[in-house]
Amino acid sequence: MPFEAPADGVLLPPYRVLDLTGPEGVFCGKLLADYGADVIKVEPTTGDPSRQRPPFANDQPGPELSAYFLFYNTNKRSVTLDLDSPEGQGLFKKLAASADVVIESFPVGHMKTLGLDYDTLRENNPGLVMASITPFGQTGPWKDYKSTDLISVAASGFMQITGDPDGPPLRQGNEQSHFPGAQHAATAILGALFYRDMQGGTGQYIDVSMQEAMITYYTDAHPALAWMQRGENVTRVGTNSTLVIPLGAYPSKDGWISAGIITPREWENLSQWMYEVTGNEEILNDDYKGGNQDRAPHNDIITALVIDFTTRFTSEDLFHQGQERNLVFIPVNTVADLLEDPQLEASNFWFELDHSEAGTLKYPLGVFDSEEVSPATKPAPHLGQDNDAVYGGDLGLSETELASLRSHGVI
Amino acid sequence: MTSQSTPNDPTQNPRKPLEGIRILELGPYVALPLTGRILASLGAEVIKVETNKVLDEMAFIPAWSRGGGQPEFQRAKKRITIDVRTPDGLEVFKELVKVSDVFMTNFRRNILDRWGIDFPELRRLRPDIILMWQTGLGGIGPYYTYKSYGILVQHMGGVSLMSGEDGEPPATINTSYSDYHTGVFQPVAIMGALLRRKLTGQPATMESSIFKSGALTAGPAILDYQSTGRMPQRIGNRDPFAAPHGVYRCLGDDRWCAIAVQTDEHWAAFCRAIGSPDWCAEDAFSSLESRLSNQGRLDDLVSEWTATRTAEDAMTRLQEAGVPASLVSQGKDLYESAHLKARGFYQPTPFYLADRAKPAYEWEAGDAIASVSPPRMSETPMEFGHYSNIGEDNDYVFKELLGMSQAEVDRFTENQSLY
Repeated sequence: MPFEAPADGVLLPPYRVLDLTGPEGVFCGKLLADYGADVIKVEPTTGDPSRQRPPFANDQPGPELSAYFLFYNTNKRSVTLDLDSPEGQGLFKKLAASADVVIESFPVGHMKTLGLDYDTLRENNPGLVMASITPFGQTGPWKDYKSTDLISVAASGFMQITGDPDGPPLRQGNEQSHFPGAQHAATAILGALFYRDMQGGTGQYIDVSMQEAMITYYTDAHPALAWMQRGENVTRVGTNSTLVIPLGAYPSKDGWISAGIITPREWENLSQWMYEVTGNEEILNDDYKGGNQDRAPHNDIITALVIDFTTRFTSEDLFHQGQERNLVFIPVNTVADLLEDPQLEASNFWFELDHSEAGTLKYPLGVFDSEEVSPATKPAPHLGQDNDAVYGGDLGLSETELASLRSHGVI
Repeated sequence: MTSQSTPNDPTQNPRKPLEGIRILELGPYVALPLTGRILASLGAEVIKVETNKVLDEMAFIPAWSRGGGQPEFQRAKKRITIDVRTPDGLEVFKELVKVSDVFMTNFRRNILDRWGIDFPELRRLRPDIILMWQTGLGGIGPYYTYKSYGILVQHMGGVSLMSGEDGEPPATINTSYSDYHTGVFQPVAIMGALLRRKLTGQPATMESSIFKSGALTAGPAILDYQSTGRMPQRIGNRDPFAAPHGVYRCLGDDRWCAIAVQTDEHWAAFCRAIGSPDWCAEDAFSSLESRLSNQGRLDDLVSEWTATRTAEDAMTRLQEAGVPASLVSQGKDLYESAHLKARGFYQPTPFYLADRAKPAYEWEAGDAIASVSPPRMSETPMEFGHYSNIGEDNDYVFKELLGMSQAEVDRFTENQSLY
């Protein structure tokens, strides 16, 4: 593929990405598409299974209305293709011959059984970059193990440190496993394209294990190292932390507020403020002074004193008044709070996208704010909406050929 | 000075993806250093500016001071000491800007202003520099001066109140996970901006925040709330599309096996794997709908089976039958994992035990492990790289790269500008 300049105001060159992924990799394609790549979602003729996932916009079930599908497929195009048929496989090879990138998340070995593994695809396109995002990677004794979001957060140990110490390990509500592997894959894909286009390199294959990616998402806790060096099991701490003291979510007058005291100076500021408000001299005890670990033996009593303080304020008041004292109090937001947050409003985070069936909704798209570049703003595609443009326009198939593929259920 | 996209030199093969790209990094904690580590692993020359006078507090967090975080986040970089708050230090810093392709920092605007680091001036010094400005809450807007920490900003992004059990306190994680979203978004933006600069001649300034990265991950729930007014339900480990679904207690202290039965095929395999007890054949569990409506009893029955075996045994039996299952990994499991060993995931590394009373070059060294960068790239493997201590690369950067004389380096070291 030619190395072409991005359109005005867009970050990435219009790299052609064929996206075959399920939940394991759907965010990788989205990230590349939101920043300007031409990402084509290749769906089974019956549609990607996630199109059937509730909840649906306006509570109207339908293949174009899943909130999950709408979020994870912004700025992608859609074609349908039966990869299980020889004709479909042939067509995919043609697509891959002119693509920059293929991303997939099938069980290990599935692409080979389709005759679409990297070695085959690169025969016609030595510059091709292909990334596989799978639960445990392409090698090792667990490579064929099955996984889900829950299994990923369990296998990586992420769950072991989430929740209350007296309760079970907990899963996060945002399907956390969608992000680490997909983000690392996007990074490696850009690295590979950089190598190809800026260093005169060839294409290459990228193997991403979601388990490994998730382990690297909490290296500040580092359970493997804690075990190696101290025989210690890093575990759940409820709304507190073993890393920084005090730190956690505390009740306020009207909800929850989180707070964290990291530097010795912050402790001075907080303890003085707590004393002013509560009149309790205990907080000024010299034993509690110093860096965050110096207070570790006194965590329980300090937590009780902090709660006595935080419950006297609203979350908003602590958030703003804390900043005046160089202290970090952060509100615990609902999704409704996010939509009204003045900071997100001011920083080009929301983009209104108009989808013909779901209507106009505010999408969280602006991870980077920049005067020079901004995200692309197309809503998720309708099933197969780009079949003619991709197969007819880009691959140059005739009307007759397209009609034949349709009648044979290939597209 | 710095080379950008020089053509491939066959005598230098194999080149690395970001070879010839120089990145200047200024700032502590998790997200920004992680971005630098990833770009360094891809072959960029990442110069990390620190000072012995104000150490990264992360060096004192338990696993970190014992070697956990710093070798993970600072490895493969050139680490130098400059106190940018001193006039001489600031001048040396600006000389480095002139020879860098990217400058990235996570300090707030008011702090940078106080030090005399001003983005328009940096652009005058190096007109094509890419600027990545990472903040906690935002670089512009009402909270732009606000101080924040990634481990707290996870609560601001909406996810805490989507997690855990209904009616319980927000479920939180003993780590700063939103930092990691930001840390891995930023290399994408930086490489994109470098490609764009090559193709259009235009540099870019980009601002990112941990708040925005975290809020983005609440995505589908944000759309659902706008469309239907429905707030996310907190359902613990349950799932609207699977049952049994959760963690089940096993033999041992705080040992659990996660099980996710999503399809009828999984259910049949699950029943076979646990020896087809009579209850498996009950109508109450015959379909996903019926399993979902009888979850309480189902969970109790599954727990009876897991309670008599180790988490690893439960996992292995279920996986061998084709059921998604995993032990909830503890540190020992990860450290000893045959799977992670086969993939070479953890590698040995030195570390330096942080000590506030001494400069870093006097810190005691020890042995630790660090993970490799997750992507396995077939042609240009992510480099594990050398782990420098703070200030270890001063000579290379000040003398070789900037051409400073030994006398000048000595003078600035003595007046603590380069310290």
